[in-house]
Amino acid sequence: MTELRPHFHDELAQLESDLVLMGEQAAEMIEAGVAALVAGDVAAAAAVVERDDVVDDLYLGVHSRWLETMALQTPVAIDLRLMSVILHVNSHLERIADLAVTVGKITQVSDGLPHDPTLVSHIQEMGDIVSTMVRSAMGAFAARDLDGALALPEMDRPVNRLNRNMVREVARLAGDPELLEWGVRMMVVSRTLERAGDNAVDVAEQLAFLLTGEFREFTDASHHD
Amino acid sequence: MQVLATDVASGPMTVTLGDRSEPAADNPAIFDVDGLNVHYGDFHAVKDVSMGIRKNEITALIGPSGCGKSTVLRCFNRMNDLIEIARVSGSIEYHGVDLYGPEVDPVQVRRHIGMVFQKPNPFPKSIYDNVSFGPKIAGFDGDMDQLVEESLTRAALWDEVKDKLDGSAYALSGGQQQRLCIARAIATSPDVVLMDEPASALDPIATLRIEDLMQGLKEDYSIVIVTHNMQQAARVSDRTAFFTVDVEQTGQRTGVLVEFDETSKIFTNPGEKQTEDYITGRFG
Repeated sequence: MTELRPHFHDELAQLESDLVLMGEQAAEMIEAGVAALVAGDVAAAAAVVERDDVVDDLYLGVHSRWLETMALQTPVAIDLRLMSVILHVNSHLERIADLAVTVGKITQVSDGLPHDPTLVSHIQEMGDIVSTMVRSAMGAFAARDLDGALALPEMDRPVNRLNRNMVREVARLAGDPELLEWGVRMMVVSRTLERAGDNAVDVAEQLAFLLTGEFREFTDASHHD
Repeated sequence: MQVLATDVASGPMTVTLGDRSEPAADNPAIFDVDGLNVHYGDFHAVKDVSMGIRKNEITALIGPSGCGKSTVLRCFNRMNDLIEIARVSGSIEYHGVDLYGPEVDPVQVRRHIGMVFQKPNPFPKSIYDNVSFGPKIAGFDGDMDQLVEESLTRAALWDEVKDKLDGSAYALSGGQQQRLCIARAIATSPDVVLMDEPASALDPIATLRIEDLMQGLKEDYSIVIVTHNMQQAARVSDRTAFFTVDVEQTGQRTGVLVEFDETSKIFTNPGEKQTEDYITGRFG
């Protein structure tokens, strides 16, 4: 096949490659944020907060080049769908990095508070799953793997379950005001990780749209499991 | 442009590109093409084309050079009859009548099915006479001044020429000449207007004026346009037919219809890979 628009298609590939880079940054930030929380390492948490600038730079770079490409190249068909997907995935990944920053900031303000090892292990489990989800979604994107994309909701299920159970677990801590304060902060962390997982599912939904031309929510937001 | 069908009433949201939430108006067919083949002598120019052209729609024929799109267009008003070695087989029904039936007069056909060509080709006459020529030949006995004004107004040219109707058509710009040719084509009240690359010889502003004019004209006429400009097809048409060149073992190159669908579908989520490769520039 003869490639008639090599510069345009190279630019699309470059935008996508920056998204892959962002995806790995976002996954590492979730990992590092949760690791800092588990270790009570305030310096490591601050490093996660600072790392957001790297993702923001990538986000802004993709966004400005996206606008330029859209204006100059008038993409159609699969190129148009890919452009739409790039814009959405760019936002989802930037959001995941922001959520990792929230985990980092909560770790900083929770410094010195007592903690509950069971809750910490649940947060760790959620963080492990969510970072794996981000990598899986981006891996499926790079490989144009529809089955890989369709696997994301199943991966998200334990994250949702752990998040739902968090209220009950924090309520257990009600007898100790300081522990309760820490627990309430962990509820926010739990909710934050759950949102990051949802963003990873959203990335997978975008891939399915790219490959099929049909946008379909994998799960029903109004009847969440 | 309405291109999305959404279902959010129950369950997860689903959106499919190219599906309209309200189905396209089921306009009656003007032409029904079935198994159309065109030969020029031994050369098989177009093979087995089947498609329908609907009333009050703009249908675009796109594809690479030599794919047969202009040949198919010329079948719609029997212009291929003017080429001695051309042979048309298969069927084209026009309002249910066999367009190539023995009782059909090609001259009458062309009164109902007007044509605008790539290069503006006004007669070497005044602006007024260019528009009045066809109706006069056809025996029009109404108010000719009114007909000329109406035709020029519909062709979005009246305001620019109303004070120089006796001036030569050749004094107009290329874009104005093309709109004059459109006025001339619609002055005989055709049913269909065929356009063969109507804007390819025009500058971008004149091109946009022609495209805008087409949107207005489709209220009264059905339009079939051949264009090399894919973005033009995307901008103006309701349905798009993508043709390509089929190279046979003998080396003979024959035009074939690959895909015919709503334009919104063709340019967002085409059904055929060949279409996608062509419109995204991955075709050589």
